[in-house]
Amino acid sequence: MNLNEHILKEANKLRFQIGENIHDAVISSIYQEANSIAGNAILLDRKKHAKVIDSKVDRIVTSKTWGFAIMFALLALVFWLTVEGANVPSGMLASLLVDTLHPFLKSVATQIGFPWWLSGVLIDGAYLALAWVISVMLPPMAIFFPLFTFLEDLGYLPRVAFNLDAIFRKAGAHGKQALTMSMGFGCNAAGVVAARIIDSPRERIIAIITNNFSLCNGRWPTQILIASIFIGTLVPPLYSGMVTAGAVITVALFGILLSLIVSRGLSNTILKGEPSSFSLELPPYRKPRLLQILYTSLIDRTLFVLWRAIVFAAPAGVLIWLTANITIDDKSIAHLFTVWSDPFALLFGLNGVILLAYIIAIPANEIVIPTILMLTVQILGMDNLGSGSGVMFEADSVSLTADILVAGGWTALTGVCLMLFSLLHNPCSTTIYTIYKETGSIKWTVLATIIPIIMGFTLCFIVAQGYYFLIN
Amino acid sequence: MISELLYIGVLLITAGAVSWIYFPNSFLKRYLLKNRDTSYRIRTEDALKHFFDCEERHLTGTLDSLAGFLNISRDKAAMVISRLQENKLIEAERDGIYRLSQQGRSYALRVIRTHRLWERYLADETGTDQMTWHYLAEKKEHQLSSDETDELAAKLGNPMFDPHGDPIPMKDGEIPQRKGFTLAELPVLETAQIIHIEDEPEIIYSQIVAVGLYPGIHIRMISSDKDRIRFEANGEEIVLSPQIAGNITVSALAFNEVIPEEYISLASLQVGETCRVISIAKAMRGQQRRRLMDLGIVPGSVIEVKFSSSSHDPRAYSIRGALIALRKEHTSLIYVEKTGV
Repeated sequence: MNLNEHILKEANKLRFQIGENIHDAVISSIYQEANSIAGNAILLDRKKHAKVIDSKVDRIVTSKTWGFAIMFALLALVFWLTVEGANVPSGMLASLLVDTLHPFLKSVATQIGFPWWLSGVLIDGAYLALAWVISVMLPPMAIFFPLFTFLEDLGYLPRVAFNLDAIFRKAGAHGKQALTMSMGFGCNAAGVVAARIIDSPRERIIAIITNNFSLCNGRWPTQILIASIFIGTLVPPLYSGMVTAGAVITVALFGILLSLIVSRGLSNTILKGEPSSFSLELPPYRKPRLLQILYTSLIDRTLFVLWRAIVFAAPAGVLIWLTANITIDDKSIAHLFTVWSDPFALLFGLNGVILLAYIIAIPANEIVIPTILMLTVQILGMDNLGSGSGVMFEADSVSLTADILVAGGWTALTGVCLMLFSLLHNPCSTTIYTIYKETGSIKWTVLATIIPIIMGFTLCFIVAQGYYFLIN
Repeated sequence: MISELLYIGVLLITAGAVSWIYFPNSFLKRYLLKNRDTSYRIRTEDALKHFFDCEERHLTGTLDSLAGFLNISRDKAAMVISRLQENKLIEAERDGIYRLSQQGRSYALRVIRTHRLWERYLADETGTDQMTWHYLAEKKEHQLSSDETDELAAKLGNPMFDPHGDPIPMKDGEIPQRKGFTLAELPVLETAQIIHIEDEPEIIYSQIVAVGLYPGIHIRMISSDKDRIRFEANGEEIVLSPQIAGNITVSALAFNEVIPEEYISLASLQVGETCRVISIAKAMRGQQRRRLMDLGIVPGSVIEVKFSSSSHDPRAYSIRGALIALRKEHTSLIYVEKTGV
């Protein structure tokens, strides 16, 4: 036996004599050493005052009486500002990009002598989808995320996670999931990225997979439009606004409930073996750096929206245009698919148009309604409406949209099922891509994609069949 | 239509049969062979483990004991034994009584090493339930190669014990022995540490787990008679039957361990109270334990309970100048002494 082996043997023997607590002992001696060095070098008297104020604020925002009230008030304010504030710039962007620039580009293309199909693919397809995504998505993002970052910079958001942790603990999740969930209401892809703040692997994957249950801003307009057409009209006009808002909020809350239920299911089954830990730092309150927040979140979000519009929405626009304009026996592919899939879709209270719209508009929920309108008009042969055959459009008024949809055979049941399906379907392709990038795992990506789709079809089936059963 | 399907089916079967004859090394056959290989390996290794176990417990390993252990017929057990003998893994000591050869012993130790390392891995690096550790390791021990096992050991920092307190055999096959005695033998008022909990049979193990005992926990005997054994484990009184206590091994405390006067958990403190950490329970493992230590929760740290959330759990603690929220399930495993306000 040479010397090395001898030493190793001796070391192993000693390991057993020392016992298992050696690691703890080493770490605590390191801390003691660091402590004594720090104690000799640092004078502690600053911030004494600030800490007193901090703890007073903390007592209030985490108290039983005020904690939840303050939280709901602040979050409601953020959402209200986003929805209200985004209307005007969205309208302006839409009138610029869709109403003005689109016809202009078309006329330029005609003058240069583009063949009809080329200007169709590029301008009616790619450009229009891009314009739509920018005008619908950019304003809410540019308002929501700076507000959110402001609350975070202030130090308030960790307190929200702290207050809500009890609920999320019961669902097998981390309190910080409350934050990623809230961000999901802005954009699911952003919510998925935000799940990085959760340092425990199991809880992080749960937060990523369930983020899609937060109704993102690409889906709010669909919800509001459909609710006002099919649910708001079920009651006298006086209450219709309230009922519409109530219906949309119910769907959003239902989404939160489902995300908790699915979280719990995941942590008890598939994710059971993933390691898990909990700790939550509550940083001191501080003055937010307003300019920096505005600058970084505006630049960041604008770039993100543009990237998404170019990479994901524009190709979808091409695809949508092609399905609506390639014809077999005088009928477009879209038409053929719609007619073929209609009986199947009816089982779920939907119709072939909705099904096709959700398949080809996977890249962006924003263009689902324009696609649905385009397809409906094309199939019904209402050539006088919209901006030409096979071009996405949005009707000028809600009542006109309602007329088109009703002419397409929609009922209140279709409306309800569409609202549910809009909440529960696969994440948009940006989100799917982000999930893959964040988890690096095909397994979690596929799971995050198919869980909501299966739930959506199941729920729509139950609702539709239940309705048919009650009717008969 | 049906005749067409029938036609295709017949064609497929024919093609399959032809390829079976002409290409005998097809994937299917290889798959079947491989399966037989693995089940052969599992049976061999389980048999070796059985003979090793018999020697450890000073029992005799026989054909019948093997058949019972593997739950197979005597004929099959006889085949396993003759195979082991052919490979010189066991040798007949006397008529009908077998023991491991030098080779067999080191093979058995390798399997046990993999099993216990895997249990350690499951306990420290994953969130799997402790009732499933043994079961999962029973499967894994037949799958890892010797190199993979060494890699696993290196990754885990060459641990000495599995989470049940069993020593993990070293690479050279040496198995460290820890002297201990059963809980039932601990004298009244003596203090000791649990070093091992037998994980088989499961029904007894689950009862031990249910009362919250784990290797590393400190106990103090209160009273013991032939019907029941009463003792204190980390401040809580527990009563067990002597039969269950027989599956628990204890030993005297190691030289560098501090025994607190009384066990108070961080969770039991009121808001506003201050304390000093004494120890973190051994039941806090893996990632959560490392996280707490990273945050500065180590023996000697001073912690103040600042405030609780709207729902009382989690609570916020001031730790080394930072405000950290922790859940009750974790703070109840941190033992402290109060240091006044």
